[in-house]
Amino acid sequence: MTFRRKLLVVFALTVFLSVAGVALLVQWVTRNAFEKTENQRTAALVTQFQREFSRRGEDVARRVEAIAASDSVTRMATALNGTSSDFAEYFDLARVMAENHQLDFLEILDGRGTIVSSAQWPAKFGYPEPAFESLSASNDQRPFLKLEELQDSTALGFFAAHAIHVGDHSVYVVGGQRLDKNFLLALDLPADTRVLLYQNRGDRFSPELLLDPAAAGSSAGDPARPAEKFAPLIDAVRKYDQEISGLVDWTSNRADEEVFHAIPLRGVGKDRPLLGILLIGNSRRSYVELKRRIRDAALLVGGGGVVLAILLSSWASARVTRPVVDLARAAQDVASGNWSASVQVEGHDEVAQLAESFNRMTSELLAQKERLVQTERVAAWRELARRLAHELKNPLFPLQLTVENLIRAREQSPEMFEEIFRESSQTLLAEISNLKGIIGRFSEFSKMPQPQLQRVQVNEIVEAVARLFQVQFQAQGREAIHCEMQLDRRLGPIAADPELLHRALSNLVLNAMDAMPKGGTLTLRTRRDDGKVAVEVCDTGSGLTPEECERIFTPYYTSKQHGTGLGLAIVQSVVSDHGGRISVHSEPGKGTTFVIELPSNVDALPPAASLKEEIAGKLPV
Amino acid sequence: MKYFACHWLAVSSLFLSVLARAETRPQYGGTLRVTTHAAPSTLDPADDKAPDSFARRSVTSLLFDTLATWNAGHAQPGLAESWQSSKGNQRWQFRLRHGVKFHDGTALTSEIAAASLRFTNPAWSVRAEGDAVVIDCDEPNPEMLAEVALSRNAILKRDSEEKVSGTGPFHIVEWQPGKKLTLAAEEDCWRGRPFLDGVEIEMGRSFRDQATALEVGSADLVEIAPEQAHHFSPAKGRLVSSAPVELMALVFARDVSAPDEKLLREALGLSVERQSIHSVLLQGAGQPTGSLLPTWISGFGFVFSSKAGLQKARQLRDQVHTARTWAIGYDGSDPLARLLVERIALNAKDAGLSLAPTTLGTSDLRLVRIPLASSDPWIALEGMAAQAGLSKAKNSGTTIEELFAAEQAALASQRVVPLFHLPVFYAASASLRDWALRTDGTIELANAWLGAAK
Repeated sequence: MTFRRKLLVVFALTVFLSVAGVALLVQWVTRNAFEKTENQRTAALVTQFQREFSRRGEDVARRVEAIAASDSVTRMATALNGTSSDFAEYFDLARVMAENHQLDFLEILDGRGTIVSSAQWPAKFGYPEPAFESLSASNDQRPFLKLEELQDSTALGFFAAHAIHVGDHSVYVVGGQRLDKNFLLALDLPADTRVLLYQNRGDRFSPELLLDPAAAGSSAGDPARPAEKFAPLIDAVRKYDQEISGLVDWTSNRADEEVFHAIPLRGVGKDRPLLGILLIGNSRRSYVELKRRIRDAALLVGGGGVVLAILLSSWASARVTRPVVDLARAAQDVASGNWSASVQVEGHDEVAQLAESFNRMTSELLAQKERLVQTERVAAWRELARRLAHELKNPLFPLQLTVENLIRAREQSPEMFEEIFRESSQTLLAEISNLKGIIGRFSEFSKMPQPQLQRVQVNEIVEAVARLFQVQFQAQGREAIHCEMQLDRRLGPIAADPELLHRALSNLVLNAMDAMPKGGTLTLRTRRDDGKVAVEVCDTGSGLTPEECERIFTPYYTSKQHGTGLGLAIVQSVVSDHGGRISVHSEPGKGTTFVIELPSNVDALPPAASLKEEIAGKLPV
Repeated sequence: MKYFACHWLAVSSLFLSVLARAETRPQYGGTLRVTTHAAPSTLDPADDKAPDSFARRSVTSLLFDTLATWNAGHAQPGLAESWQSSKGNQRWQFRLRHGVKFHDGTALTSEIAAASLRFTNPAWSVRAEGDAVVIDCDEPNPEMLAEVALSRNAILKRDSEEKVSGTGPFHIVEWQPGKKLTLAAEEDCWRGRPFLDGVEIEMGRSFRDQATALEVGSADLVEIAPEQAHHFSPAKGRLVSSAPVELMALVFARDVSAPDEKLLREALGLSVERQSIHSVLLQGAGQPTGSLLPTWISGFGFVFSSKAGLQKARQLRDQVHTARTWAIGYDGSDPLARLLVERIALNAKDAGLSLAPTTLGTSDLRLVRIPLASSDPWIALEGMAAQAGLSKAKNSGTTIEELFAAEQAALASQRVVPLFHLPVFYAASASLRDWALRTDGTIELANAWLGAAK
């Protein structure tokens, strides 16, 4: 990953994490605020419910008291006695009184709890009131909740009881009103809040027992909000006997969720049975929508921030990474051989200091290189002088001996001077020829021309070299050499000097032939290698030792008895002039492989048209 | 002074006595306003599709006449002025009264009378012989006189299904089936023109509305529910009740189909607390009963126990493994019926039986009111059996033992659980005079007249 991208990632990550952090924080604060509001609403609603409950209860108590104080009831209480009760006369009293005082329930009980008259279930006269024991035992005169059994149903209501004591016996008036949808509708509910009442009857949850004012008129309830969803909450209240809150999700859309607080409502008596469960629900729509808005805003801001980060990083990189990139590019140039590469220095920060250091380094390297070149040049001259001295010394010594021999012969044996002169002349001519050969090779090496780059197909040159030596592979007086061609036909053209390349390959083939005096296999192979073209010349000769491999490209080094040692040096020079590289792989007894790697550099060539002209002008007719 | 006072006293006494005598003398005129709870949809007394009711019978007696009337166990001449039986009561001959005309002016003939009787009694062989109607039965029928006195055997002239004509003291002016019937006095009635000019009968009124109508003066003669009779104030009018002429009972829709059901039905009968229901819900009206026929008709009604036996009922119930819930039907327009059914359901629940009240047409058993067809016990028993869906009681007996056996057999079928025998109550305004209640619970208005309200 480039520095620029890293910078971008860091910037973007920073922005994103910051925005995400802020969004999470806002959401957390919002959730807490919402929960707090929800709790406040619930508490307010519970208070309101209790207030309304008390108010209604007091109202019922007043009515019951009024009934108890009425003349009819007083007369009845007086008439009834503890031994025999004639309910006939008062059978309809409760119904009439209930109608007059607008009560849904009214029962008149004698001192033993037997129903004298019942408004809600007239036929129940003479039967005991099941709740009488708790009613008569309770000293609490406050209104209370009670589950009233009717002919074909059960209803929840708030009741009040009043006892009338006449002489030794008592009569009880128990009246009440239904706790139904109308009661719930009378509550002043804030927006997004609703109230339901579950009448706790039976062991299992039953949707029919749920009073939902919102579903008024529909006995099946709201199909979009099935009552069965409340079952777990109701069961939990029953099980744990305490207020419980729970989330009810109506659809997969979270905005439709509601948080319900279930509050148990108890009756009177020792057991204080659970008669009903008040469900106060708060819609989470506003919270979910707010959360969505926060999220959307966070995404928007985050997205904007990332874009900003990209822009910032681009700007920053333009200021920060550009010098670094320039430095990196300059370093690459230096690595590729351009020692004069330098970097523009801007500012005084660390990057500028680094650029200055780089420039100083390259200058120093350049100077050192020049010094090295000069040193090498001097060394090369010295080596050349040494080599020249060495090469010339050999033929000069016999020349000197021959001339001295001639002088001696002229002076000491004039009669043999002619013969000696003839013999010495041949020797002199041979050594002079030798000298001329040595000087010719030196001259040739010194005259190595700069390559004239052309668009060249390497395979063609390899094939030309193979054809050139084909006869010699099968020459008489030596074992045959099998030439194997493994050419990659997909090779594209490269920029090279065909003559120099031909020469270099020819030298390698000659070396290979010299390495296989007893015959063998010469393999000429071309292949592509990472954008470069590789040419391999492999022989199955005696191979080279590692030390020989190291020195083999040194001029004048040779492992042959005859030879100037310049052949591989010429090859290396050609390869080097083409910007390539030559290497040798060999093991003693296993043959040797010379590998020439040449770059393509076709793009560096002039266009094809002018190139053709160039070729037309260069090549001999 | 003394002379003047005495003279004045004498004159005023004479005047008052004249006035009083004038007030007790029937007066012609006025339209009697009557309300009924029943709402018959037909005026044809032979139409079995309409339920029998006292109101229907009362209306029938205003429009039509029977060959004879039956009252307190005795037959009185009606359209037939005399009769005789022969062949051991298998043949009866009724000699028709002369000069009787139908409301459309047609004279009553024996052919018309015979046709009318054949229409309602396909099993009889009825023919006209001169001015007599001869009825031949397959078996001896000692109750023939009581039978011909039944309102369904009234003599009608049927021109079509809707157009019927009678010989009664009133003829139809306007008829809105189930709602209102307006009658006018028949000037040429063989019994003589009635004192009333007309009768307006509003039907289908609740007992409460009827009581209110009487109180506010919009009705002269109303029905009073048995449970309201106790509270009826004399200031509102004159209350008259009959002997118990109506059986309130639970009637099962089907015969017993399994031994378990027999036990359960018996348990149900034992679970009902008739005494408390009678005391509270009926306010003491009528009598709890375990018999089909009231004691005043059969003489042995008290033999069949009406006491509750909750413990025995529970034991019977415990002998049955599973008992399904019975649907008990009742007349939804009758508040008393609803209360009774609820109470019976409570009593049954105490015995371990489950009853579900319903006003729908189909039910396992039903609370019904069966008017006594006649004060003749055999006819009454036959009529009751027919209403309860029982097989016809054997009608060939003459002794009380045979009657008892017949009733016992009917009760043994366990199709019927008798609960109460109820009288019918009527209340009339003070202005209505000389109206009477027959023993069968119908009203006799032929001689009724409207005077000034006292």
